[in-house]
Amino acid sequence: MNTIDFKPGDLVRIKVKSQSYEGLVMPRTQYEGPEHITIKLKNGYNIGLSLNRILESSVIKRGDEAKGSEATVIPSEGGQVHGDILLLSTGGTIASRVDYRTGAVKPAFSSKELAALIPELGSIASFSIRSLMSVLSENIRPSDWTMIAKAVQEAFLAGFRGVVIAHGTDTMHYTAAALSFALENPPGPVVLVGSQRSSDRPSSDAATNLIGAFKFASSSRSRGVFIAMHSGLSDDSIAIHLGVRVRKNHTSRRNAFHSVNRRPVAYIKGLTLNENTVIGGKGEFIVRPNFDDRAALVKFFPGMKGSYFKFLVDEGIKAIIIEGGGLGHVSEDLIQPITEGIKKGVFFGMTSQCIWGSVNLNVYETGRDLLSAGVVPLGDMLSEVALAKSMWVLGNGLNATGQMPLDLRGEVTGRRWLSVEQD
Amino acid sequence: MSRIRVGLEIHLQLNTQHKLFCNCPDPQAGQGRVEFRRVLRATAGELGTLDPAAEFEMRKNVVIDYVSEEGTSCLVEADEEPPHPLNEEALRTAIITANIFQSDIMDEIHVMRKTVIDGSNTAGFQRTAVVALGGAFGYKGTSVGVQSICLEEDAARLIERTAAGPKYDLDRLGIPLVEIALEPVEMKSEDVQSMAESLGRTLKLTGLFASGLGTIRQDVNVSVGESGIVEVKGVQKLETISKVISYEQGRQLWLVELAEILKQRGVSEKDFEGEPLDITDTLGEGLKGNLRAFCLRAPGFSGLLKRETVKDGRLGKDLADISRFMGFNGVIHSDELPAYNIDEAAMERISAAMNIRDGDAYIILKGEREAAISCLKSLRARLMMALRGPPSETRMAMADGSTRFLRPRPGSSRMYPETDIPTTVVSETMKREFSLQIKDWDQTVKEFMEKYQLSRDLAVNILDSDYLNWFTEAMERYDMPPSIVATTLTEVAIMLRREGLGQLQRDSVFEVFDLLNKGSIGKEAIAEILRISLKDGLSVKESIKRLGLTGISTDDLRTIISEELEKLKGMDNKKAYGILMGRVMERVRGKIDGSIVNEEVRRKLGI
Repeated sequence: MNTIDFKPGDLVRIKVKSQSYEGLVMPRTQYEGPEHITIKLKNGYNIGLSLNRILESSVIKRGDEAKGSEATVIPSEGGQVHGDILLLSTGGTIASRVDYRTGAVKPAFSSKELAALIPELGSIASFSIRSLMSVLSENIRPSDWTMIAKAVQEAFLAGFRGVVIAHGTDTMHYTAAALSFALENPPGPVVLVGSQRSSDRPSSDAATNLIGAFKFASSSRSRGVFIAMHSGLSDDSIAIHLGVRVRKNHTSRRNAFHSVNRRPVAYIKGLTLNENTVIGGKGEFIVRPNFDDRAALVKFFPGMKGSYFKFLVDEGIKAIIIEGGGLGHVSEDLIQPITEGIKKGVFFGMTSQCIWGSVNLNVYETGRDLLSAGVVPLGDMLSEVALAKSMWVLGNGLNATGQMPLDLRGEVTGRRWLSVEQD
Repeated sequence: MSRIRVGLEIHLQLNTQHKLFCNCPDPQAGQGRVEFRRVLRATAGELGTLDPAAEFEMRKNVVIDYVSEEGTSCLVEADEEPPHPLNEEALRTAIITANIFQSDIMDEIHVMRKTVIDGSNTAGFQRTAVVALGGAFGYKGTSVGVQSICLEEDAARLIERTAAGPKYDLDRLGIPLVEIALEPVEMKSEDVQSMAESLGRTLKLTGLFASGLGTIRQDVNVSVGESGIVEVKGVQKLETISKVISYEQGRQLWLVELAEILKQRGVSEKDFEGEPLDITDTLGEGLKGNLRAFCLRAPGFSGLLKRETVKDGRLGKDLADISRFMGFNGVIHSDELPAYNIDEAAMERISAAMNIRDGDAYIILKGEREAAISCLKSLRARLMMALRGPPSETRMAMADGSTRFLRPRPGSSRMYPETDIPTTVVSETMKREFSLQIKDWDQTVKEFMEKYQLSRDLAVNILDSDYLNWFTEAMERYDMPPSIVATTLTEVAIMLRREGLGQLQRDSVFEVFDLLNKGSIGKEAIAEILRISLKDGLSVKESIKRLGLTGISTDDLRTIISEELEKLKGMDNKKAYGILMGRVMERVRGKIDGSIVNEEVRRKLGI
């Protein structure tokens, strides 16, 4: 009979009708049912056998208790910080390695280990690693932005020249925008970096993106917040985007991040930095790390009901960023509920769902109606940036109507050039 | 004589609508061609247990260029989009194949990533899954064990290899392959070859697999005595299998003997101590830029690096191939000196500098310091392996049956689960239902002979041919004598290939059949048209024009017959027939079918 008493890591022998198999019992994910068992054969292949088919089985050797597939939190390196660059880790798998026995991925982390994995990093700059949190990027909250902003502040106070932040890519542009506002005139570059192909594959873009981020953080004279990611299909060019002018525009490509309405700040080709411009001036480093998450980003669509706005206002939302159609429009029946919201003190800012270009509420009648209702046009500010900015404005007790339309960090571009393409 | 064991792995491309993990190809797509460049890195953090093959590849830092075209590849092949779920049609075919060999079909299919960082897979791994294990294949009354039946994706196609690195086309990447691995057998090389032929025929008759050159590839694993298994990849032609086996046998036996000689010379592992040295100044040769010359002592190897028992089967050749693989232009070893601007005096200086004793050899490599020393350490490792006979490694089959070093043999640590693809459950019903009655070869040949009125030879040849599906297609489309079509696709094809003109082009062949079917050209012209078309890259129409074979109508033919008959006036009709046929054919050969000429001539003569 098949009294199955296997644990992941056990070396077992299993007999089915015509064959007998020997291998390691592997852990199964929660989506793989309990009716089968996964065995790793000696040649490395995994096979799945139905428990019903097992005629005989025996444990050849008990394994160690298998480690769970949860990512372990990366330890900081004894609180000791030194070097040119601090790499802050927020989670994700920018540099992970695999436990071949369990098949689970665990983050690899000491600066020594990382330098061994990506030897180029050591040749660019000396660095330390600090593990701040282990959060998938979709689970990042505004309170995490506060934590990251404070960690960046500490790093600069400790004398690091630049900070590189490893971040999952899904919300990286929100974090980049939030940090851009929280960190005014940072002493050096703050570079967010991620990977579109996980680092457990030889073709991962993690290493080349990190190299680009390190290069920029260690040698650029720019001061501000940036994102470093592939600029094309090839591994030979990394683009540095301004933190408030960048967006994830593709679900899976390496060059998913695009600068919108401006060129990337710089490119790193191989190990060479080509800067188009130097960002930031001589101002004092001011950190205002607080965010109030009572803000919402709402996309207009045909058939949208006014009650949605009423719901948000009743929920206590203090700032609503609308992604309007075209130059910044919504249907006329929405003007009344928006007007009511504004009367109750809620900030309404208008951006466009077109991604490229600026809103302009003067061209059509609906636009003028929105203006007279008190909706604030936000120029060519990206809607995600506007959302992060509104949370920052609320969190730091600033006046939304006064601050939101201003260009504080490059989020509003006065001129848009013909030569900047939408690719 | 040591016993030799041979294991066959047969890879067959599947005839599925789509690739294994995406919806390519798209016959409607345009020409959009994109090129890009990538670098691959070995992934394991635990560098100690990095796969030997992957680690070996890692020592060289090459960039890889890729070409993608809209019709044949998409974001998935470029590693810019996660793989789609496993192609069900391909899985079905693999299950059917497993049933043919009574192999035990797995209840769940787990797709794995097999690390391959030579660039032939954009992801840095090949996706592969065990579908079934065990089973047997009957060959000449004996039963040959089946080890495994796997479903895998084909690799990208190498277009060129330059000093900068390889360039691949993504068109082939992701095409489903079934890999059938047989248990090693102790058989004569000719028997292994005919077993492979028999297995190939059985599978071909299922109609589940693609046909054409390169759609079936064999890997041959050869081991002599107790030594490691040498995996020879990419045997494209069946006829080469026995040559490869004989070659490997000869090469490996020499390495067994080499180990014996080294033992007699008293060489042991500790003799390999000592680092490679910079001998640039000793050589006194001006080298460009950062280039330096480095030297490695090969203790006890004097005279053994150049010795060979089969063509190019010498150790010196392997050392050169290893260095080339790592981006160098080969090595110089003392067995070939004096040569390459190194004279006796320089040799004496080197010997003194390197502390070379009688019976020692040495190896010189030119390059940048770090890379050259790293490469020489790999060469030293290879020399040390010689103490233990033929090492386990992966080699590449050449067209003449010889083999060349490719990389060390990969181990199990290169396998990693493909986390992007969910596990597929195979139900007992699927296992039962996806099966096929296989056809008997002899019976099929017989049926073919009867159905198409072919000789046995022609029937066997067309059944074995890469163009079998063209034949059946032509038979459905045209009302032509099967023997003409079969001859074109076998004898004519082989003749043109031997002339170095390569493969038949599908469009040309069918255009020729079309014209033949309409009677616009004669069968005598087929070979000529195809030859000119392949040789000069002409279209069929241009070739016909070039040959002056523009077809003639039956009316024209009648006029010609009348003209020629006029010249034979007064001759007896029966006597005139032969001469008239000859003269008319001289004027119309290739422009109209001979049987029509015959018919018209006879009618004119009333016989």
